[in-house]
Amino acid sequence: MLKAVDGVSLEVQPGETFGIIGESGSGKTTLGRALVCLEKPSAGQVLHRGSDPYALSGGELRRHRRDYQVVFQDPNAALDPRMTILRSVREPLDVAGTLPHAARDEAAMRAMERVGLSPEFASRYPHELSGGQKQRVCIARVLTLRPSVIVCDEAVAALDVSIQADILNLLADLQREFGLTYVFITHNLGVVAHISDRVAVMYLGRLVEMGETEALLARPLHPYTDALLSAEPVALPSHMRGTQRVVLSGELPSPVSPPSGCRFRTRCRFAQDLCAAQVPDWREVEPGHWAACHFAGTLPTVSVPHGMAGAPS
Amino acid sequence: MSAPHRPSAARRFLSWLRSDLRAAVSLAYLLLLFSLSLLANVVAPHSPIAQSMDMLAPPDAAHWLGTDDLGRDVLSRLIHGAPMTLYASILAVGVGSLIGLPVGIMAGYLGGWVDGLTGRVIDALLSFPSIVLAIAVTGALGIGLTNSMIAVGIVFSPGLARLIRVQTIVVKNDLYVDAARTFGMSPLRIVWRHILPNAIQPFIVQVTLLLAAALLAEASLSFLGLGVQPPQPSWGQMLARSYGYMEISPEQMYAPGLAILFTALAFNALGESLRAVLDPTRRRSD
Amino acid sequence: MTRRQALVIGSRLVQVVPVVILATVVIFGLLQLVPGDPAAVIAGEYATAERIAGIRHMLGLDRPLWEQYAVWLGHAVQGDLSTSLITGQPVLDEVLRRLPNTLLITVLALVLAVLVGVPLGILAATRVDGPVDRVVTTIASLGVAVPNFWLGMILVGFFALGLGWFPTTGAASLTQDPLRALSHAALPALALATGGIAEITRQLRSALIEVLSSQYVRTLHAKGLSQARILWQHGLKNVSLTLLTVIGLVFNRALGATVAIEAVFAIPGTGSLVVASATNKDFPVVQGVVFVLVLIVIGLNLMIDLLYALLDPRVNRR
Repeated sequence: MLKAVDGVSLEVQPGETFGIIGESGSGKTTLGRALVCLEKPSAGQVLHRGSDPYALSGGELRRHRRDYQVVFQDPNAALDPRMTILRSVREPLDVAGTLPHAARDEAAMRAMERVGLSPEFASRYPHELSGGQKQRVCIARVLTLRPSVIVCDEAVAALDVSIQADILNLLADLQREFGLTYVFITHNLGVVAHISDRVAVMYLGRLVEMGETEALLARPLHPYTDALLSAEPVALPSHMRGTQRVVLSGELPSPVSPPSGCRFRTRCRFAQDLCAAQVPDWREVEPGHWAACHFAGTLPTVSVPHGMAGAPS
Repeated sequence: MSAPHRPSAARRFLSWLRSDLRAAVSLAYLLLLFSLSLLANVVAPHSPIAQSMDMLAPPDAAHWLGTDDLGRDVLSRLIHGAPMTLYASILAVGVGSLIGLPVGIMAGYLGGWVDGLTGRVIDALLSFPSIVLAIAVTGALGIGLTNSMIAVGIVFSPGLARLIRVQTIVVKNDLYVDAARTFGMSPLRIVWRHILPNAIQPFIVQVTLLLAAALLAEASLSFLGLGVQPPQPSWGQMLARSYGYMEISPEQMYAPGLAILFTALAFNALGESLRAVLDPTRRRSD
Repeated sequence: MTRRQALVIGSRLVQVVPVVILATVVIFGLLQLVPGDPAAVIAGEYATAERIAGIRHMLGLDRPLWEQYAVWLGHAVQGDLSTSLITGQPVLDEVLRRLPNTLLITVLALVLAVLVGVPLGILAATRVDGPVDRVVTTIASLGVAVPNFWLGMILVGFFALGLGWFPTTGAASLTQDPLRALSHAALPALALATGGIAEITRQLRSALIEVLSSQYVRTLHAKGLSQARILWQHGLKNVSLTLLTVIGLVFNRALGATVAIEAVFAIPGTGSLVVASATNKDFPVVQGVVFVLVLIVIGLNLMIDLLYALLDPRVNRR
């Protein structure tokens, strides 16, 4: 039996940007979809403001979920190829039906303007736009609902590097202006470091570390985080970069039959017998900084030179 | 950053016709047939059921295609057979779509046991040799044009259901459907707004091709006496009558047979052209 | 036979069962389609109330629906397909008597379709878009659009009445007088085959074009393999499975299309039986004929399916 996400417990605070990082197969996309009720959890709960959305009736759930939106990785697939841009952006308002027709067009045009799309795009079709433009359309579309939470599932991964920065800045602007809460899912440490307040690291369906971004980058507690950081040292300010790289040996184990005990042990250079025998607890090693490793905090990290821990950025 | 504006639907239609001779000719022929059907009473030189003593006459000035065994004008009967034919084809295809489209979409969208059961029923229905099933259903409903075409429609429905089901499954998994769900769109509305428009194209092609099959089915059934009942003219029925007098006046067979052939060709050609234009990624091997 | 193959065969056999059962439900359900009271419809306009009641009782229509179905099915699997309302004879006997005539022309048509369709398809595929291809494609389009019973009539006109090469009507027993049987079956089979030829030509051409233009074959060309060798070794082997599927389809269609052909050539086959019984509202016969024909179609498709599963390694892994 495949459990894409098995044992994840986290809380997102209003107004923050919460990053979730993991490689493909870590279950992060499934988690993201679950957060916006696109996948129903087979065990456990997704709570929105403390209450279970699935406790609502069909119609109530449909009204409720407008507050929790998602921007997908592939903007091309996320737009109906047969609808003009204006129709696509307006669609959430059409569904909500609270505004009269003309007002909806106006609201959609304003949203488009806000994300940097000129009005002439309104009558175009998705295939006439570039990747970056399409992603802006998707963001505009989501914006019309003024949601509380936006899950960005690899929202910039498919775009050119130069465009990525633009989109990220746009997202940051929108957050300030509308008081949005983001859950930013990605495999790219550079992106996460840039914009997140807090970060959670996922491996094979489990959380392995979570904490405030700065603390996590400065003092990674879990060997997996350490390995990720060492592979992308440009994410860190120069004085924090280590000199060595951790190369993870072996391949990602099959999620259908994960390793016993700690799931990372098959690729961890510090693995001991204990790691195979016992599943590590998810514990708060430092205030606000959690990890699931028997030896968290005691291991020498590679990405941050020893002794530099705690140095001011 | 200016991209070309999309031309209007009418413009696109006309340029398609200009580029595809086959489509233009077929469409012109079918429009002609349709007009003939509407204006049958005006255009036909004689009444299709008026008998005369001039039986099995060869073509002459008064009767361009001669007369049949009851002295009726063949040309007039041919013209009056056109509306029957078109009505029959459209009825059969309409019934088939009416049953097949919702069933197929439902099976594709809901999946699970609904899909499994529907698939089995479709398999079972497709095991029947089609005309035989149509005849059996016609026998049960009672012979006549409308009933026999409803039977043919029922025979068409499993194939159509299967087709739209596959397309629905493909579209259902597209990301914009997920996006629509997050906006709180109800399943019915999602089907109407997103799934149907994107899944319908192969369906439309198949429907056009089925018009030809329906036409041939009506011809067969009328030929067998199960479809259009005399004295109403029908091309299939005319063939049946003419067969009995083949040795005396063989040319009777040709007019209705050719009419059936050309109309079926036109439907098929239109369907193939539609297929080529609606799916530009298709290999030219078709 | 490997264990895997046995498993595949077994699973196919099992999958067929629900289809057969559903088919029997449909056949049984035909009677329910009759508007109004089936017994009254069968009895006719001038029937007395007693006669209607008698028919109702004889057909078991006064029983609950599921019981009717169970009884009917129980009889059917034992070979008892009830008796004709008109002749009073057992339905199965009548069907079996006529089946050989129908099967003869159907099988003959199928053989003809393969013998003509396959070479035509290959011809067209190897000369894509050339004049030969255009001609073949046009012929195929015609073959699909032409009403085959009309073609039968024309054939009778030319070859039977005109030239006298073939008899115009009737059939003869294959076992007793094969040559005469074949001469009776020749023209009907020819008329019946046109649709099949067209279908096989088209599908084969299309599948072959796809294979021949694949990357794999292009590298073979580059290595210098002759066209003929490529065609035989790689082209045909790959499309043989498609061909199998099309043959099943053509058989299914042909079995239905014999209905009109039998009318043209006055052949005492199952087609003419079903038409007559439908016209006369002899429902047990209608149901019986359809039942037998469906079993034949399912049987043939099952065989093709099994062949497919055994020959195609990819399908096995489903």
